[in-house]
Parts: sequence; structure tokens; C-alpha cells
Amino acid sequence: MADQGGSQHGIARTSRVRTDEQRQRDLDRIAKYRELEDQVRALTAKGDYSSTVFQLTSKLLRLNPEYYTIWNARRRCLISGSFSRPSAGSSCSRESSTTSPTATTAPSSTNYSSSSSAATQPAPSSPTAPKAGRSGTTAEASTTTPDAPETDESAATAAATEAAAAAETQDLSVLKTELAFTIPLLLESPKCYWIWSYRLWLLQQAIARLRPAVARGVWEEELLLASKMLGKDRRNFHAWGYRRHVVAQLESAALGGRSLVEPEFAYTDKMIRTDLSNFSAWHSRSRLIPRLLDERGADAKARRAFLDNELQQIREAINVGPEDQSLWYYHQFLVLNLVAPDKHPAMTPDFTREDRVAYLTREIDEIKELVEDYDDVKLIYEALFEYTVYYSQLEERQPTPSERADLVTWLGKLRELDPMRNGRWADLEREYNLNE
Amino acid sequence: MSQTLNQPREEPQLAAPAHVKYIQSLDSRKDEYDYWLTEHLRLNGLYWGLTALHLLGQPDALPRAETIDFVLSCQHENGGFGAAPGHDAHMLSTVSAVQILATVDAFDELETRGKGKAQVGQYIASLQNRETGTFAGDEWGEEDTRFLYGAFNALSLLGLLNLVDVEKAVNHIAACANFDGGYGVSPGAESHSGQIFTCVAALTIAGRQDLVDKERLGRWLSERQIAGGGLNGRPEKKEDVCYSWWVLSSLEMIGKTHWIDKDQLAAFILRCQDPERGGIADRPGDMVDVWHTVFGLAGLSLLQYPGLQPVDEVYCMPKSTTRRVLG
Repeated sequence: MADQGGSQHGIARTSRVRTDEQRQRDLDRIAKYRELEDQVRALTAKGDYSSTVFQLTSKLLRLNPEYYTIWNARRRCLISGSFSRPSAGSSCSRESSTTSPTATTAPSSTNYSSSSSAATQPAPSSPTAPKAGRSGTTAEASTTTPDAPETDESAATAAATEAAAAAETQDLSVLKTELAFTIPLLLESPKCYWIWSYRLWLLQQAIARLRPAVARGVWEEELLLASKMLGKDRRNFHAWGYRRHVVAQLESAALGGRSLVEPEFAYTDKMIRTDLSNFSAWHSRSRLIPRLLDERGADAKARRAFLDNELQQIREAINVGPEDQSLWYYHQFLVLNLVAPDKHPAMTPDFTREDRVAYLTREIDEIKELVEDYDDVKLIYEALFEYTVYYSQLEERQPTPSERADLVTWLGKLRELDPMRNGRWADLEREYNLNE
Repeated sequence: MSQTLNQPREEPQLAAPAHVKYIQSLDSRKDEYDYWLTEHLRLNGLYWGLTALHLLGQPDALPRAETIDFVLSCQHENGGFGAAPGHDAHMLSTVSAVQILATVDAFDELETRGKGKAQVGQYIASLQNRETGTFAGDEWGEEDTRFLYGAFNALSLLGLLNLVDVEKAVNHIAACANFDGGYGVSPGAESHSGQIFTCVAALTIAGRQDLVDKERLGRWLSERQIAGGGLNGRPEKKEDVCYSWWVLSSLEMIGKTHWIDKDQLAAFILRCQDPERGGIADRPGDMVDVWHTVFGLAGLSLLQYPGLQPVDEVYCMPKSTTRRVLG
């Protein structure tokens, strides 16, 4: 199975023979670790998820953040003790593990989740119907029964409101402490799936337990974390995935959100300026562009200008680093928009065939000029080959004799410069009948 | 004390006996701290070690009865398996359990002494997100195409794929496809060789390879081979033996293995061996582990390296096993 946890990456091989002293030190560490583990197990086996167990999980997870069962015990501690009240749909017992995965993570309709913003902001597109909740109760009571005299009922309501506010303060404090707990672990193990997923579970709890405006505040900080982690490792796909998830939630109705496509697009700009070779950033850009153009309400002219700008930018980058695959993949993305708009998100749906041909041939010409400066970079020949084939396909014709001659020449260069992939070059030769 | 300095000039050979000894020694390292720190991977580790031994042609190098006992001792009432006794049930360890039981031909023991196939199938099916079709790793809800593949892998071995909504899962994979032909962890995520393996293998199990853009994907995968012969997992990253499995098996599934230089890849994997003490590392001179060992050997098997048993490119199990179980 594809799980990289626990495997050795990039650690230099050393002698496995330990001195007596080293061996004894290992044995001491093992004894300490196992004692901690035994304590947690003995208690959780009895269904004990008290603060004692909680503190033991802190110690154990600091020693071993990959220990997923301990992260689960910690969740159960929070649900059964630290949070203001057990979340519906969750249970602390081991035997509950057959519950569906969404039961503990989706905001439960029985939770006080969506009241206050519903009372103050008319008609948010919240997926759940507003319910009389904690902090919203007063506002709703005063608008629906403005002249109601003081009754036991309203006194009870006031007490409930106060209790709800206290509960929210408690939950927010627990969540913030928990989020802070994982930070040093994440900095030490930035590719540990379990830490990232625990953090996402906490954030889901914020949606389930806090009013949207408060929950939003918690989620917003996560963007800073994602940026921090990507600052340390620009390609960390956990951090990129986390960022996408956080953005999607911040955009969602559950958090009273609006589109973040512009700032996220600007973020890819920033990341690309730092490191042109960061394909993760180029990829992210490719996913944002269709939405960006739609949300800008871009007309045909604006779309053309946008594409011009993207092409110019990537061409300049390729001029500096033509051996960088990341750049060529992004160039391909832009070209696919021209040649296969039905299969790939079309940035310029209004383009006529003539427009597409004009853009494609300009790219081919530009790349041909590159050969004059770099005659030994195989990616250039690969692009020329691919795009020339597209050109003939766009015009629904076979390659002309001069194009064929070019294809043969470029294939020869590919074979010479990149013999590792000779099997592929042979297939291309067969596919386009270039060996006749 | 890096080994690279001592390496002979000529291409190294497969150190098969050393690898067998290395794998056999893994459960006797209880005086090493790492042994305890990796208990959350014990069942996965057993699957990796057992598969490696089968590929090395030593299927009896681990005791069968103890293997089955251990696997069954990890099972929960709900049918799922934890990584070791006392560890919570999870998709990853459940899939490993099913793969191990399939490999040692012990589904009948699961029936008589365990909770039975049907219960395992129920556990896995309960983790499908019925709205999107993807799968969670456990009750806490982390979703990833790894878990979707794991579910398809185990359920098809158990003959219980009918318990889940295959079509929805297939649509979810299709939504994970990128312009470069690859697949990511979830819709919108960057293409990654590990996720490509899980998505293409799941589509293969579902009989839906027609959804794969084989030309474009094959091209992306073939570009993973870099100078030195090793494969990387994404553009502009370092090579690593584990991608000898994920990239190569994906190429094999779409019929494009000949798009890379097999000899150079085999030589790279062999350079990552610890020839004396056994095991394979991520890169030459690094620490070995059982995970890189099995994926290195599985890669060599796909490359038809002499002396290794054939591996199934979809299941990462001995082909003899998948032939017996799947018919």
C-alpha cells in the first residue's frame, strides 16, 4: 500500500553495530516509551478518556506522531471531556468504529452551529437551516416577540445564552490549544499524514461547534500555516492539499465565505517568482485560471489578453531554463487550451480556428528560435514535434512534406539526446509513419 | 560510513540471500527503538516482507501459522484490522491483512477463526463516501485516492466489490485527472506518481481503463526517469526506489513500460541494495527499510530480472496469488 510513513528517506546508511552504551540507551528509551504506551492502553481499554489519558497522549505523540491510534484516543478525550458537550454522532467507545466516516466529521444538524449569522445577516446561503442556537437566541427572541413580558421562560433563555457563550469560549480555547500542540510536530514531520488529518478534524470541529464568524477566524489562520509550511518546502504536496482544502472551506457557505480565487492566483504568482521550477505552483495556477476568468466576467478581449500574458510569461521563463520540465508542462497546458478546448478547460472559448492556428504557429516559431541558442535540449524538440502534429490536426490535414522533414529531424535529435526513451521515439515514428 | 565508496565498479547483482535474511530478521529487532516506533505499520510491514519473500521465491521463509495468527489478532469486531493488536482499525492495515491472507491462501481461516470475509467487506464498504464515491481511511474521515484503491484491491480479492458504488468511485477518480494525464490525491490536487498508481490500478480493477489518457500519462510517467536511471515521483524531484514500483507498474498497466530504459532502472535499484546485510534503500548509500525493499524487488520483477517471481502490477502481489484468487 502507498503509505510512506515510517520508511527511511534520505538517511545515510551507517554501521548497524551499536556499542554497549548505545544499545543500553536504546533499551532505556524503549522501556520509557513502552511504559507510556502501556499506561494509555490500559486506561483506554477501560473506556477511560480522562485528562490523565489526554496528557499521556501528548507525551506519546511527541515521541511518535505517526501513532494514529493515539491521535484517535486524543480525539475521543476531546469529545468525551474537553469540549463543552459530546458532539452528536460521535461516541467514545471502541465499539463505535463501524460508524460511517462522515458521522464524526460532518457538522451535525443537532449542533448549535448556524444561528447567529442567520439572525444578523439575512439569508446567507447556509446549507443547514438556521436553528435557535446559543448566541442567536436573544436576537431571535427579541425580533419575534418584541413585547413579551419578563417570564421564567426568558430568564431561562438568558441563562441558556450565557451557557452557550461560555461553551463556545471553552471550545474555542480547546481548539486553539490543540492546533498549537500540533505545530511543532508538523514542523518536525511535515509529511506525516496523521498530523495533517488530525488538524483537519479539529477544524471540522470548529465548524460544528462554533458560530460561523468565530469558526472562520480559526480557519483563516490556517492559510498562514499553509504558507509557512510551503515556505519551508515549496513542493510539499500535503501543504498544497491542505491549502486547497482550507481555501475551499473558507469559500463555503458554512463559513459565510466568498471566493478567494484572486488572492490564491496572486499566491501562485508569488511562489513562481520565488522559484520558476515550482510545478506545484504552476499546477495550482492551471486549476485556478478557468474560475478566475469566469469570476472576473472576462470578455473575449480580456481572455485573449490574459492568454497573451500567460504565454509571454512562460516563454520568458523557458528562455532562461529550457531544460525545466515544470515550465514545459505549463506551456502544454496553455497550448491544450488552444488545440483541445473540448477536453481541457477553455480559457478562450471564443477563439476561431484561425485564432487557434495563429497562436499555435506563433508558439512553434518562438520555440524554433530557441533551438538557435540551445541545440542540445531535448524538451525543445519534443515540444516542436508535439505542437507541429497539433498544427496539422487543427487544420485537419496530414503534415506537409516540409513538416514531415522537420518531424524526422527532431525525432533524430530526440533519439540522440534522450536515448533512455527510445521506445517512445520508436512508437512516435511508427504512429506518424516517419520511417518510410 | 557510506557504502558508496566501497561499491565495485561493475554492475551489482541481486543480493537475494541477504534480502531474505534481512526480512526474516525484522521481527527480531525488539531491542531497537525504531521497532517500537513503527508498530503502527506492523501489518503493512508483514505484507511488504511477505510479498518480497514470495517474489524472491522463498514463500516459506516466514512461518505460515504464526503469520495467520498475527493477522487475525489484529482484527476488530467490526471486521476491520488495526496495524497490530491494540491499534485501531484502518483501511491501510485492513487491506494489508486481506493481501497477506490471500497470499498465504488463508481466507478459510478468516472464515473459521476470524470475523469472516463478509464482515471485512462491510467494514471497507462503510468507509465509502456515498456522495462523492471516494473512501475514508477510517471513521475519522481522512479521504484520499489511496484509500479508494485499497478498498478496490481488498474487496476484489474478497469477491465483494458489489458492496460498494463502483460507478461513483470511478467518477471520483475521473475528477482527480489533470491536464498532464496524471492523477492527484483528490480533485484539484497535483499529479503524483503514487496517486497515479492508485487511480490507474483502481480503474483497472473496475474495468475502466478507457478513462485513462494513456498517451499523455505514459509520456508524463516516462519523463520520471532521470539521469542515473532512477525514477522520481513528480517533475523536478529527486529519484527514489519506491517510484520504481509506482511509475513502472502504472506504465505496465497502460502498456508503456518500453518508454523508459529498463536496464538503467534495474541497475539503479541494484545500486540501492545493502549487498552484505540485505535490504534496499531509497537511494544508493542510504538506510534500507522493508518498504523500499519490496518496491525495489517488485520493480525488478516487472523488469523481468532473472530469478524473481512475476509480480501483479495492479495488486503488488505475486502473480501466482492473484491468478489463484481472482481466477
